Amino acid sequence: MWETVAQAVINGLLIGGIYALVSIGVTLIFGVVKIVNFAQGEFVMIGMYISFFLANQFGVDPLVSLVVSMPVLFVVGVLIQHFLIRRVLGPNDMPQIFLTFALSLLLLNLALMLFTANYRTVHTSYSDEAFHIVGLYIPVAKLIAFGVAMLLSAALWVFLHTTDLGKAMRAAAQNRDVAMLMGINPNRVFCVALGIALALAGAAGSLLMPFYSAYPFVGQVFVLMAFVAVVMGTLGNVIGALVASLLMGVAESLGIQYVGADSGLIVVFALLLLTLAFKPTGLGGKAR
Amino acid sequence: MSGVNTRGLLWLGLGIAVLIALPLVVKSSFAIDIFIRILLFSFIGVAWNLMGGYAKQLSLGHAAYFGLGAYTSTILQIDFGISPWIGMIAGGVVAMLASLPIGWLCFRLRGPYFTIATIATAQALMLIFLKFRDLAWGAEGTTIPNLGNAPLMMQFESKAAYYYVVLGLLAVGLAITWLIERSWMGYYLVAIGEDEDAAEAIGVNAPKIKRDIYLISSFLTALAGTFYTQYIYFIDPATAFSFNISIEAALVSIVGGIGTLWGPVIGTILLETTSTLLQSWLGSSIGGVQLTVYSLILMAVILWRPTGLMGMMREAWQRHAGRKPARA
Repeated sequence: MWETVAQAVINGLLIGGIYALVSIGVTLIFGVVKIVNFAQGEFVMIGMYISFFLANQFGVDPLVSLVVSMPVLFVVGVLIQHFLIRRVLGPNDMPQIFLTFALSLLLLNLALMLFTANYRTVHTSYSDEAFHIVGLYIPVAKLIAFGVAMLLSAALWVFLHTTDLGKAMRAAAQNRDVAMLMGINPNRVFCVALGIALALAGAAGSLLMPFYSAYPFVGQVFVLMAFVAVVMGTLGNVIGALVASLLMGVAESLGIQYVGADSGLIVVFALLLLTLAFKPTGLGGKAR
Repeated sequence: MSGVNTRGLLWLGLGIAVLIALPLVVKSSFAIDIFIRILLFSFIGVAWNLMGGYAKQLSLGHAAYFGLGAYTSTILQIDFGISPWIGMIAGGVVAMLASLPIGWLCFRLRGPYFTIATIATAQALMLIFLKFRDLAWGAEGTTIPNLGNAPLMMQFESKAAYYYVVLGLLAVGLAITWLIERSWMGYYLVAIGEDEDAAEAIGVNAPKIKRDIYLISSFLTALAGTFYTQYIYFIDPATAFSFNISIEAALVSIVGGIGTLWGPVIGTILLETTSTLLQSWLGSSIGGVQLTVYSLILMAVILWRPTGLMGMMREAWQRHAGRKPARA
C-alpha cells in the first residue's frame, strides 16, 4: 500500500522537476517584464526538436545537446524581447497577452507544418535503465532530468542573489521605476530575463527527450502545468513556482494513480480552482 | 462618431437587403457554407467582444459556453425529444448559470491570469464531458438524428434556411451590442476596460457589471453552440469545447477592431476569406497552415494596428474627409 503511494509521489516529484523549469521561466518573465509568456511551452517543444534532430542526425546524446538547446533558446529569447515584446510593453493588457499567444500559435502550427504531427522519440542507452530501491522503481533518465533541473534552478537562484545583473533583475522586478532611476537599463534586464527563461524551457525540452515524445502540441501540456503552478506559487516568485511545480507533479501523479489514467489534468484543474477560490494570491501569500 | 443618421440607416438597409437576397442569388452550397461560417463566427465574435472588447476581460474560454449550449440542446433533443429551438434558450440559460461560479473564480484574477483561468475552466469542462459517459456520450460523441425537413426541430433541407437562422442570431447580437454601447452599461464597461481601479473609485460597481456582461456574453455564445451542432448534425467534446472556438472568438474581434460594433464581423470576413483561399490553393492536406496565417495576421495587427481593421478604416476615412473642404 505505502509502496504505491511512495511510487506515485516519486513519479510526481521527478516530472515536477521538469514542470519547475518551465514554471520558473514563466514566473521570471512575469516578475521582471510583467508579462505572461503564453509561448513558454512551445520553447520546450523547440528544445525537444533540437535534441531530437541532433540525436537523429549526429547521434548526440539528448543530455549533451543541452549545451546547444540552452544557448540557442537564450538568443531566441533576447531577440523576441528586443524585437517583439519591447514594442507592446505599456499599460494595455491586450497586446501583451495576444502577442505571446500569437507567438505560441505560430510556433505550434509551424512545427505542425514542418515536422508533421508524428511523435518523435530518441532511444538512449539509459532510456530503459532504472534503480530498484526498497521495491521502488526509479528510471535513470527521469532521475537525471530531475537532478539537472534542480541544479539549474539552484544556479538561477545563486545568479539572482549574488551577481550584479541578477540583483538588477530582482530590483527591476520589485520596482521598475526606482530601478530605472538607479541606472538599470530595463530593456537589457528584460532581454536577459527572456533569455534565461527560454534557456530553461530549452533545457526542459532536452532533458525530456530521453523518456518523452516530441510532437508539435507537447508544449501545451507543460505550459498549462506551469501556469497553474505559477498562480499557486504566487506570481513572480521563483521559489514559490518551484515548490508548487513539485506539488503539482505529485498531485497529478496521485490523480493518475487513484482517479484514473486520464484524470491527472482534472486533479490539476481542481487544484487551480481551489487555489483561486480560497487563496487567490497563491501559496506565497502577498497580494499583487 | 456617427450615431443614428439617415446615411447610416440607408447603408444598413442596403446591407440587410443584400444579405437577405444573397442565398436567392448564390446557389452554390459551397459558397453558402462559407457565408454561414462567416456569420456564425461573426456572431461568436460579437458575443466575445461584449466582454472582451468593451470591458477588456480577455477570455480564452468561451468554448465553455459554446459547448454547454451545444450539449444542453442536444441532450434535450435526443433524450427528451424537446425541440432545439427551446433547447437553444435552455442552453443559453445553462451557460448563464455556469458563468456565475466561473466568473466568481476567474474575476479574482486580472489581466493575463484571468485569461489563463478561463482557458482552464473551458478545458476542465471538456474533460468532464470526455470522462463522464453518463452525462452525455463520452469521447465518441453522437450524431443528431436526421429528420429531413423539420423546421420545428431546427433541421432544414436547404442550406439557405440555416443561413437565415444564423443571420438572425448575428442581427440579435449586433442589436444587443448597439443598445449596450448607448446605455450606461456601455460606458461602465469601457471605463472598466480602460482602468478598473479608477472606474471603481468613481463609483462603478465593477464586479456587478462584469458579472452581468459575462451573463449576456455566455448566453449568446451558447446559442451559437446549439446552432452549430444542428448544422453539422454531430457533437463530441472535442468539437463542442474546441479551444479553436475560444481562439477564433477573440481573434476575429481583435483583428477586426476590439470594442467596436462591427469589428468582429469585419475580422471574420478577413480571416475566413483568407482561410478559404488558402484551402483552395493548398488543399487541406497540410495541417497548421490556417492557424499559422491567423497568428501572423494577429501579430501584425498587434504590432502595427492595435485598433484593428476598424481603426485602419476610420483613419482612411478621416484622411479622405480631411482633404475635402468643410461643408457649408
